[in-house]
Amino acid sequence: MRGSPLFRLRFGFVVIAMVLSVFGARLVQLQGVDPNAYAAMAAAEGMVEVTLPATRGDILDRNGKPLAESIDGLMVVADPLMTADRAPELAKFLANRLDVDYFTILPRLREEGSRFEYIARRVPSTLATEVVDEAEAAGFKGLDTREDPVRDYPAGDVGANMVGFVGTDEALGGFERTFDDQLAGKDGRSRYAVGGGNRIPLGESTIVPPTNGTDLHTTLDLDLQWYAQRVLRQTVEDARADSGFAVVMHSKTGEIMALADHPTFDASDPLQYPEEDLGSRAMSDVYEPGSVEKALTLSSLIDSGKVTPRTKIVVPPELRRDGRVIGDWFTHGQIRLTLAGVLALSSNIGTVRASDRFAPGELRRYLAKFGLGQRTDIGVRGETPGILPAASQWTNLVKDRIAFGQSVSVNAVQMAAAINTVANDGVRVDPSLIMGRATTDDGKVVGTDTTRTRRVISSRAAHETARMMERVVDPDVAIAPGAAVPGYRVAGKTGTAQRVGVGCGCYDGTFTVSFAGFAPADDPEFTIYVVVQNPRNGGGGGSVAGPAFSKIMSFALRRYQVPPTMTKPSKLPVEW
Amino acid sequence: MSNGSAQLRTPIRIGRGIAEAAVERARLTVVPRRRTRAARMPFVMLVSLVLLGGVIGLLLFNTSMQQASFAATALEEQANTLTAREQTLQMELEVLRDPQRVAEHAQNLGMVPSANPVFLRLADGKVLGKRVPATPANGLRVRPLPPAKPAVLTPAPIVHKVTADPADTGRASDGNGGSHGRNDANASGQHARR
Repeated sequence: MRGSPLFRLRFGFVVIAMVLSVFGARLVQLQGVDPNAYAAMAAAEGMVEVTLPATRGDILDRNGKPLAESIDGLMVVADPLMTADRAPELAKFLANRLDVDYFTILPRLREEGSRFEYIARRVPSTLATEVVDEAEAAGFKGLDTREDPVRDYPAGDVGANMVGFVGTDEALGGFERTFDDQLAGKDGRSRYAVGGGNRIPLGESTIVPPTNGTDLHTTLDLDLQWYAQRVLRQTVEDARADSGFAVVMHSKTGEIMALADHPTFDASDPLQYPEEDLGSRAMSDVYEPGSVEKALTLSSLIDSGKVTPRTKIVVPPELRRDGRVIGDWFTHGQIRLTLAGVLALSSNIGTVRASDRFAPGELRRYLAKFGLGQRTDIGVRGETPGILPAASQWTNLVKDRIAFGQSVSVNAVQMAAAINTVANDGVRVDPSLIMGRATTDDGKVVGTDTTRTRRVISSRAAHETARMMERVVDPDVAIAPGAAVPGYRVAGKTGTAQRVGVGCGCYDGTFTVSFAGFAPADDPEFTIYVVVQNPRNGGGGGSVAGPAFSKIMSFALRRYQVPPTMTKPSKLPVEW
Repeated sequence: MSNGSAQLRTPIRIGRGIAEAAVERARLTVVPRRRTRAARMPFVMLVSLVLLGGVIGLLLFNTSMQQASFAATALEEQANTLTAREQTLQMELEVLRDPQRVAEHAQNLGMVPSANPVFLRLADGKVLGKRVPATPANGLRVRPLPPAKPAVLTPAPIVHKVTADPADTGRASDGNGGSHGRNDANASGQHARR
């Protein structure tokens, strides 16, 4: 026997100590040097972490039909390490099936050092899975899908100017952007252990559920909006005009049921259109309303008790004021008109003469109460407040011009709400475009819940103004017979205003023609305002915007089943 | 008891024989407590059964959990497929009920929007509103006009005004021989029909 027991014992201890110090060194290496990396590596083994994308809320019309909706979609991604070998064939296959560009994806499929490349984003999930399965069947490896919700605008250009659009990863315009906080929701996360593609039961698993976006309900009516847009487009095209807009408002609630813009764009493909068409001109175009505004001037005058619809006014052929000549759109000698006649025939001179009875500053107060010069804040981006000159700038000349709707600027919704005041018994009701309430990106709360009302003119003044406005569409007076809806009592007012050109900042000889009105005149249901910018066919408010008004009004009355009131139409005298 | 044993033992040491003592002891011994020994087998069986049951139960439980996990994955996949299908159908429905599409179809069938809303009051059978027949003039243009061609593509027709020179008429008519011929043919045809 070699060695003594003592020697063997010592030798054993040394061996054990050596082994233990190796373990110790490894322990220090694992725990001391870079513990996190190893922990992560251990966790990554068999652990899957996925983002649970929140579903973006829909934008709905008043009947719940979607103007914008989110659809389960997938992105197709590639692992270049696996796809590089057969990249050209795979690129050809994908280009054929997924509507992606061959030359864009080919370098991605070959990208060196990368293990993740996007091939196609926002593909409907059925198509994406089909394509990936087909690719696998054809022997291509390295394709995969990830969740990627698709935004769809089923109605295309209908309401697009308000709804807006989204880019690949962010909301870019319209409601999509204004109400992004509400619509977007919050993505969730899920982490779990998998084995062979299945979740391991009792394995580690954490889930942070996604908070889906909340739907945005608008007051728009998809079908009415579509009809208004088509009528408007036809009107603008036929008049060879620059642009146009139409507002359909529910008289009693101020809900905007259609807000049409032309030119417009297709929300599914916004980049094909010029940038200036992507907003809402009805809200951002500032223009002078022209004679439509006379309805506000004269109703204020009646409210202040200074005139009645039968007040007799002598209208000379032209009126010299402060060295300027005010004329009418039609040539006449000295004529004798009632106030109703002044409005029905749209006489500038008559209006100026009548408004001489205002106390100083009175007209401005009335117009401010009608909402001119203030934003409507209905949730549309880029709204102009319009221009109501400050009291200090009200010279006699300015006052005269404002009385018939020049030297004062508005946006279309503002003006529609002002005319709606006459329709709604003299009470101005805030227009709204959002059902309920919603918070915009600059923190304003908008919607029907926030609607306020205020009395601007007396019920009697509103009623009498409506009766005067009825004479405008009367075929006997023949200013705008094209705006009539046969069988109904329609109150309206034409407008043909000189337009300030973009280039010179002066009246450039172009016109803004418009028609605002409501029906049935004795119990109004809808207020509609149609504006056409720069018609080149020589038409005025009655001949261009009037027929469009009539068509949209007929459609709205039929759609909402508003029968004629069957009362006697107004026969206020026009002359004396 | 201890007293008794002391009394008994003393005589032994004093004078009795060992055999007697042995007898004595045999007669009076402390009886060991009787142990009832349970049979070993049933206990072992029980324990192994419990153990086996536990293991098998655990195995079955685990298997069923796995099974459930497979089923869950399969069902989840099915749910995804069905959701996708539902959404595809929903999209199709929206395409079908898109007002633009409906209008184009209606127009292809020769329909026009009604000219004027008219109502029938059921209470007394009275017709409210004015009946206006809808004509093609009521038609709505549902498609945009084609974009205007740039002027380069639609050049104005070039018109050359030529005043006929009386001295030149002969040659001009020679040049138009073909058209003359056609006119003649027409004329002769008409003659023939008459």
